[in-house]
Amino acid sequence: MYESIIQRDLDALIDDRVSDGMFRVDRAVYTDEAIFEQEVSRIFENCWWFLCHESQVANHGDYFWTDIGDQPVFVHRQEDGSLKCFINACSHRAAILTPFKQGNAKTLTCRFHGWTYKCDGACIGVKNEEEGTEKGKFDLREIARLESYKGFVFGCLNSNICSLEDWLGAAKPWIDLMVVQSPEGLEVVPGSSTYKTDGNWKLQAENSVDGYHVSTVHRVFAHTIAARESKGEYTGIKKTESGRIAGGVPTAGYSLGNGHMSIWAQHTTPEVRPIWEAKDRLEKELSPIEVEWILTKGRNLYLFPNVMLMDNPSTQIRVMKPVSANRVDITVYCVAPKGESDKARAGRLRKFEDFYLTAGMATSDDIAALEDTHEGSMARDAKWSEFKRGIRTFTRGADDDAKALGFEPEVSSDNWDHEVLYHGFYRHWLKMMKGEQAG
Amino acid sequence: MSDVQQEVTNLIYREATLLDRREWDDWIDLYTEDAVYWVPSWANEEETTNDPELQLNLIYLRNRGGLEDRVFRIESRDSYASVPLDRTVHLVSNVLVQKEDGDDIEATANCIVHTYGKKGGLTRGSLYDFNLRRINGELKITRKKITFIDDRLEGPIDVYHL
Repeated sequence: MYESIIQRDLDALIDDRVSDGMFRVDRAVYTDEAIFEQEVSRIFENCWWFLCHESQVANHGDYFWTDIGDQPVFVHRQEDGSLKCFINACSHRAAILTPFKQGNAKTLTCRFHGWTYKCDGACIGVKNEEEGTEKGKFDLREIARLESYKGFVFGCLNSNICSLEDWLGAAKPWIDLMVVQSPEGLEVVPGSSTYKTDGNWKLQAENSVDGYHVSTVHRVFAHTIAARESKGEYTGIKKTESGRIAGGVPTAGYSLGNGHMSIWAQHTTPEVRPIWEAKDRLEKELSPIEVEWILTKGRNLYLFPNVMLMDNPSTQIRVMKPVSANRVDITVYCVAPKGESDKARAGRLRKFEDFYLTAGMATSDDIAALEDTHEGSMARDAKWSEFKRGIRTFTRGADDDAKALGFEPEVSSDNWDHEVLYHGFYRHWLKMMKGEQAG
Repeated sequence: MSDVQQEVTNLIYREATLLDRREWDDWIDLYTEDAVYWVPSWANEEETTNDPELQLNLIYLRNRGGLEDRVFRIESRDSYASVPLDRTVHLVSNVLVQKEDGDDIEATANCIVHTYGKKGGLTRGSLYDFNLRRINGELKITRKKITFIDDRLEGPIDVYHL
């Protein structure tokens, strides 16, 4: 929690003159710690912040410890099946209450002085209670808002915000395309990986929907997969879809409002995707356009400010924890349709491991590029980063694909090499930094 | 030291030396065609994932081709994370033969890898679980499980960091 207000002219950070063909961002937005402090208080504490997936807190007493901005919180599954989220600090002297990141406890006892809390946050035990420290006065602090959208759990520290559904807006159909892949919904697969990145969180946000880097940074991934497949060892679902990397396939990018962004690229070999086995069922349950999007369009969705949902070679929840202007910790989970075959699940995981991890053969290259970008941004004498590609050709509102699926973006661009989707991101960022209403 | 203990120790030392000296082809030759190379992820603070097929791993390669992919990428000089290549020093210790069954041997070892790269020096530890097989009189690796004890990972992790 910071109260500082930076002395900068915030409007001067974003050179937004689209009608003149100009959109630039002052690289200080990545490197200035005073700007980061204001992001914490103005943005992170005033927007819907992704916390966890419901499958991570499936049963009564399951808890999940995370942070909103820099404040530790935990989500706790209640006896009646609902969820609550509390500040993760003992009411007494602030010790963290959850011994593990994820676990089960129907009551939580502080390991420092032994104060005890029920699942609903009520303080039910104070060791050697005395006048002034009666247990009835020390219930846990519940966060202002907690809502789920189809299994994805978000919280907000400020009660004065629109509903989660309104916040997600045009991003909702993108989430739906993942959720409807199984009638039982999605589940997070056991295991995860967390990596520290020496770079600003907004560079990670940009990277997740940057189609333009794919044919350079991931060229080596495509070549590696091609060399592998030339040996004939990998067939069917064991193949990793990499045709989009070389380019030449239909692609698009969207600014979805409230800072959310997305891209898609046409898959050249949709039959190797893990969801392919469900094709017949999907065709019975869903509209042809939904089936087409699920099976043939690889999709990356960024939800402002801290989570990305990928359905590309594999399916991923990527969560950011911004630590400072120059560091963001990232945790990745494989999220998968419940009830899929073991063969599809294994194929999904192997594709995830090939591409998406810091120990994988693509995300590691992304991180290196991101860290170099951050380091280059320290060069204050060359202060502008350029977001001009596509500025003369974009479509205001929905393109034909968006209309067909039924979402209303602010801006559509018919090429994922374009950078106009970032305009909406930075406009929303600026609005929140100036303390204007979140959504 | 028994002959087997010495032979196993030499093999594990040799692997570490080949990795540090970037002798990739000789390194891959230590593995059988169907060798499994497995680095589980952490399921929670105390346990790794334990079903490599149906849970998330950091690396899970089911034959030597997987190692060849890694070397192909390193040698391409086109991988952002691998240019410049981090310098590494592996220190292997605590080598123990756990089981001998004809030509099949199980062994464990500990490894500290000191890395130097863009982030400066990093020192990290792993537990090694080896399955080895004597083929034509020579020991080969049929399976290597690496329990990488670090969780919040700094920088890229590739086969030479482990």
